[in-house]
Amino acid sequence: MRSLDQLFEHSSRSLARRTSRRSLLGTLGQILTGAALLPLLPIDRAGRAHAADAKPKADSPESCEYWKYCAIDGFLCSCCGGTSTSCPPGASPSPITWIGTCHNPGDGRDYIVSYNDCCGKTSCGNCECNRNEREKPMYRPSRNNDLNWCMANADSNYHCSVSVILGVAEK
Amino acid sequence: MRSAPLTAAVFCLLAGVALAATPPLPAEHLTVEKLPPKSPHWVYVFDAAFDNEIDQRIHLFDGDTYRRLGQIDAGFTPGFNLSPDGTRSVVATTYYARGSRGTRTDVVEFTDNATLASAGEIVLPNKRVMTAPNLFSVAYSDDGHFVYASYVTPAASFGVLDPTHQKVLAEIDTAGCVLVIPSGPNRVSSLCESGRLLTVTLDGDGHEASRGMSEPFFDPDKDPVFVQGIPIEKGYAFLSFLGAVHEVDFSGAQPAFAPVWSLVTAAETGHWRPGAEQVGAIHKKLGRLYVPMHEGGEGTHKDGGTEIWVFDTASHKRLARWPVHASGFANVLAVQVSQDPAPILFAAVANSDVLILDALTGHVKHVEKHLGQTPWMMLNP
Repeated sequence: MRSLDQLFEHSSRSLARRTSRRSLLGTLGQILTGAALLPLLPIDRAGRAHAADAKPKADSPESCEYWKYCAIDGFLCSCCGGTSTSCPPGASPSPITWIGTCHNPGDGRDYIVSYNDCCGKTSCGNCECNRNEREKPMYRPSRNNDLNWCMANADSNYHCSVSVILGVAEK
Repeated sequence: MRSAPLTAAVFCLLAGVALAATPPLPAEHLTVEKLPPKSPHWVYVFDAAFDNEIDQRIHLFDGDTYRRLGQIDAGFTPGFNLSPDGTRSVVATTYYARGSRGTRTDVVEFTDNATLASAGEIVLPNKRVMTAPNLFSVAYSDDGHFVYASYVTPAASFGVLDPTHQKVLAEIDTAGCVLVIPSGPNRVSSLCESGRLLTVTLDGDGHEASRGMSEPFFDPDKDPVFVQGIPIEKGYAFLSFLGAVHEVDFSGAQPAFAPVWSLVTAAETGHWRPGAEQVGAIHKKLGRLYVPMHEGGEGTHKDGGTEIWVFDTASHKRLARWPVHASGFANVLAVQVSQDPAPILFAAVANSDVLILDALTGHVKHVEKHLGQTPWMMLNP
């Protein structure tokens, strides 16, 4: 029985190690940004109709209602010295991030956007914006905005967030 | 009219004599206040200090006297929890040598809850999870023998710590599953992307002895659960975005799942839903569940409750709806209930106030203004 136990233990541990690597690769694959990954990105279209119903009150990148910010959680870099696609001076973009799909009422298209954090300075504290369309809890990290996406930066201080268009969500 | 100046002069003279007769105030001595004996109506209020996240803190507040009793410093995007006997607080946090830059140090810090003085620390590998407040970023084993610290880099694992000898014992890979849900003296469960729970059992040295994966207990695509578990008698209840209640019994070797019940009727489903940073509280002996609820669609799960709904956890019946917003308060972002026979419900609202309610009637007894900057989680002492 002892040897049987050891056999099962060995196989379980081996399985766990293999599963771990696969899961890690899967997680990294989902959250690493890059055009090469774009065709593989899962796109949730189920909530698109609802997103279209949520008409923005403003089209300014300094407004939380701006369409690209449909699932952003943090301070808008547009209000902190940057823009919706650039970090403020002296801050560093996060190389890892999470992605979402936002509907642009201006052209009627859905876009895949990357929510990068800008890092290396303390909280900007201006234009806090918390929207959560299709956002999921942190056990689904590629869809989660609670995690500090500066976590892998040399300086993981969170400063503000941007929303960068990766491409049109093909129908 | 001529007599008026004379009268005034006489009055001043008499007043001066009276003042001179008053003994001077004694010299004062600077001391350090001692905490009074612990009360069930105390609450630890986790202030995420979102506008300046490197300076988060926990306020200890008395729900009877409405006074702040003291503070525990918590650094940058910390985890926070209490030992099973309540005598220690644990903060898992990150510091940089020069404030916002310099060498990074991840560390678990202990506080003596009788004095709020530091009670040691354990330096961690720089992998600690940085996320919103929840009960499972750092946690004690049921017997206090181990402390578990969640790691996300974003690869997921957790550290096993020895709080007595203040050292790291092991790191356990969790195959992409996140957070540390403690049970028994040596088990840790983590939430997985598939809706399953991974449970790792440790040996006496804190190393992995075995692991098991549960069946999925929720559908993360259709109706994900909040990670803010609510303590129940033998485990935790997890609420879903649409209002399903998943009670998980963690007392056995593997988690067991009770039949799912719902906070909402069929007509309310998809319209009324839970939403908050700390999305529910349960009085275990009275069997009452308090949930911030609001009307809203997909994507509103952090909007906060316009009402607090009260449920009987045995019959699953809704007992009350307390209209917080209609009473003039901001939306509820966190709730906690004391566990004594005359319970207080603490409700932190979006403008940083904390409401103190009679948990049996919903009567608002007090509004504590600005209890921190962003009070997003509260713990019983």
